[in-house]
Amino acid sequence: MKRLVSTLALTASLAAFSATGALAADGPTSDDLLKSATNTEAVLTYGMGPQAQRFSPLTDLNADSVKKLVPVWSFSFGGEKQRGQEAQPIVYDGTIYVTGSYSRLYAVDARTGHKKWEYNHRLPDGIMPCCDVVNRGAAIYKDKIYFSTLDARLVALNRETGKVVWNKKLAEYKEGYSNTAAPLIVDGKIITGNSGGEFGVIGMVEARDAETGELVWQRPTIEGNMGTLNGKDSTVTGKTNASWPGDMYKTGGGATWLGGTYDPETKTLFFGTGNPAPWNSHLRPGDNLYTSSTLAINPDNGEIKWHYQTTPHDGWDFDGVNEFVSFDLKKDGKVIKAGGKADRNGFFYVIDRNNGKLINASPFVTKITWAKGIDIETGRPIYNDDNRPGAPATGEAHDAKGKSVFSAPAFLGAKNWMPMAYNPQTELFYVPANEWGMDIWNEPITYKKGAAYLGAGFTIKPLYDDYIGALRAVDPKTGKIVWEYKNPAPLWGGVLTTAGNLVFTGTPEGYLKAFDAKSGQEVWKFQTGSGVVGSPVTWKMDGEQYVAVVSGWGGAVPLWGGDVAKLVKDINQGGSLWVFKLPKA
Amino acid sequence: MSNSVIRFRSALCRGGVLLLATAAPAVAGDGPADPLGSVMWEALRDQYFAGAPVVFDGRVKVMAPTSAEDTRAVPLSVDATALDRVVELVAIADLNPFPLVLRYHPGTASPYIATRIKIQQATAVRGAARTADGVWHVSGVLVDAAGGGCSAPPASYAQKDWADHVGEVQARLWPAGDEGTARLRLRIRHPNDTGLVDGIPAYFIETLSVSAQTAGGSPELARIDSLEPVSENPVFSLDVRPPPDATALILRGRDNQGGEIRATIPMPPPDARPAMSLKAMDPLRSVGQ
Repeated sequence: MKRLVSTLALTASLAAFSATGALAADGPTSDDLLKSATNTEAVLTYGMGPQAQRFSPLTDLNADSVKKLVPVWSFSFGGEKQRGQEAQPIVYDGTIYVTGSYSRLYAVDARTGHKKWEYNHRLPDGIMPCCDVVNRGAAIYKDKIYFSTLDARLVALNRETGKVVWNKKLAEYKEGYSNTAAPLIVDGKIITGNSGGEFGVIGMVEARDAETGELVWQRPTIEGNMGTLNGKDSTVTGKTNASWPGDMYKTGGGATWLGGTYDPETKTLFFGTGNPAPWNSHLRPGDNLYTSSTLAINPDNGEIKWHYQTTPHDGWDFDGVNEFVSFDLKKDGKVIKAGGKADRNGFFYVIDRNNGKLINASPFVTKITWAKGIDIETGRPIYNDDNRPGAPATGEAHDAKGKSVFSAPAFLGAKNWMPMAYNPQTELFYVPANEWGMDIWNEPITYKKGAAYLGAGFTIKPLYDDYIGALRAVDPKTGKIVWEYKNPAPLWGGVLTTAGNLVFTGTPEGYLKAFDAKSGQEVWKFQTGSGVVGSPVTWKMDGEQYVAVVSGWGGAVPLWGGDVAKLVKDINQGGSLWVFKLPKA
Repeated sequence: MSNSVIRFRSALCRGGVLLLATAAPAVAGDGPADPLGSVMWEALRDQYFAGAPVVFDGRVKVMAPTSAEDTRAVPLSVDATALDRVVELVAIADLNPFPLVLRYHPGTASPYIATRIKIQQATAVRGAARTADGVWHVSGVLVDAAGGGCSAPPASYAQKDWADHVGEVQARLWPAGDEGTARLRLRIRHPNDTGLVDGIPAYFIETLSVSAQTAGGSPELARIDSLEPVSENPVFSLDVRPPPDATALILRGRDNQGGEIRATIPMPPPDARPAMSLKAMDPLRSVGQ
């Protein structure tokens, strides 16, 4: 009898074990992804939640206990391939999934740093990434892990084995397309943007079935181009030639190279669109919709709900891809479903996410030359016409460049790709900003498939001797800057904030730093050995709070940074994942 | 010299048959000694034939050159048509960094496959056929070679546009001859890269499946699980049995990066003649006897 009881107990415990085992093996569901912002045991989405607030409710680490945060292990990406590491890790079921430069993906045991598998994508020789061979992260859903590659493909792998399940072409890399953003998964669809804004491509948002990779819908970002739904033409974007002359909309740019965010409350995708092509704005009179905009898109069919254009008729490469972060704006006793966007053009926008109406816009850098401000009623910039680079000379003197102007921010932006964070407890945005300007002039240009389509020359300059980077706490209610941290080199990494009153970000000088979220006081730092230009994450495992970040200097600054590139040329490259924890007392 | 080798082989052949007859459920760790004297034999046997009975059997004919002219593309054929009911063929190059070359599931096809492989250094090259009773019948030859076939970068990378042609297929099907099988030859453009060259990821064909297009469906005729040692731009010769109502053969495959291979191979024209036989003319070259 005793033996029978123990056998039964064993059977029961085995059943329980296999039930939890099955859950982990099945992987995260759509619902898990939608609720990922409050899941402190995992990091399931790029942005630490579909709204991309990069906020963790964890409180073990705080401005005091952070002093005890120590490294647990470091993992090298290996090989001869270094360059910029801009990824945000994904953490699930004791495994960290992290992408590296040159289209590589790793699965690493979160507790030990032991490599489970590695996938190296074989890139053709002719890829044309404009701004370094980076990747910003993977997406997880059910039994698969996904990432996009520099030859504009989307690869789905079994997350346990690293074996490729499918590999779909997103676009033709020979025409200048590439892909560096983390995919977004909503209701079983995997949604991607595209890169290649410097080559006259057409910006595109696409949804595919996450199981099969088959295309569901496509939405071009430039007016006049046809979208598709379930393999058939759907609707034309905007109204043909309403804001573009002639055929220029066919090579109009507007790349969605940073991917998008999703708001489960209004069931809306938000994708930022890049600069119009070519850079020379005199060739394309009009607003050039929907370049340098935020598009609100229905995830079911790819239809545009609303748009907000931050830089109409852009002439400075004020690419508007910057992430749109949904948040609840508490103002005058009301709660408004709003979104925040720190634009490359230097203004911080607060927009009603139900309808795209501007609520507030204020500078988050010290110097903006191209506009005097943003008209809150019309939502349009009040331009400084003198600060638009002049048209190139025509006729006999065809090679002559147009009038050069000094403009701030520089084309690398008051804020570039690096994602900001929003803390609902301090009600502040934490924006990684840069203070720089540029001399910019226009040159004659014609479009050639697969060739750079700029029509402009430029050189970037710091505005101040002592710093370029500035991490700024922005109050979305007032537009005021509550605190700032100045960094000598330009900031190029993402930001994380926590309920423990902390803000984390990395520096090109190699540090991962933590700040008091209310005061901005630096409370912790760790030297990772190379520049930090990735996005940190935090989660709880075995009762301890962990922090992870990738280290490896690179990105657009050393390639396009002009005078600034000189300042950072002595930073050594790298390629590693660092994991820290707050040990149990 | 030659005569003594033949006698040696003959003795082994008898030993193998004896083993099959009397000690069929042989376990890993013991079994007949390797007639090729390869230092890797016992390890490879345990890895690839784990626990299954293994015999050296001259009825499996392995053809490869005595000395490899180009270590990146050494011709190799494995012919087990002398055996009944073969369900799987494998090819192994003992001293390669990846010894397993391919697994061939002949299905309704004849148990014969020919291809080209990379050889890293002088090595025993083997063919093994698993019959329906679970016994592996092994044979092989020694191939002398200068080093480096597996760790040299594919020659196609010298051309800037190599990526444009990956997955292209050249194929030809001949009508069935006296033996009732139709020769199918496939050539696929692919770097088939081992990943052993610094900074270049592994990139090779993993699966190839041949099926027949018929009004009633598309039954699979044969399948190859191909691995790193198969040469760049691999060539395969198979002897398939298309059903009489087949209108074409379909080749479907993919590489380890999810790259897809698709080709439709037309049936031979009415006046075409069967392919010349490529079968071993000198079976004594194959040492399994």
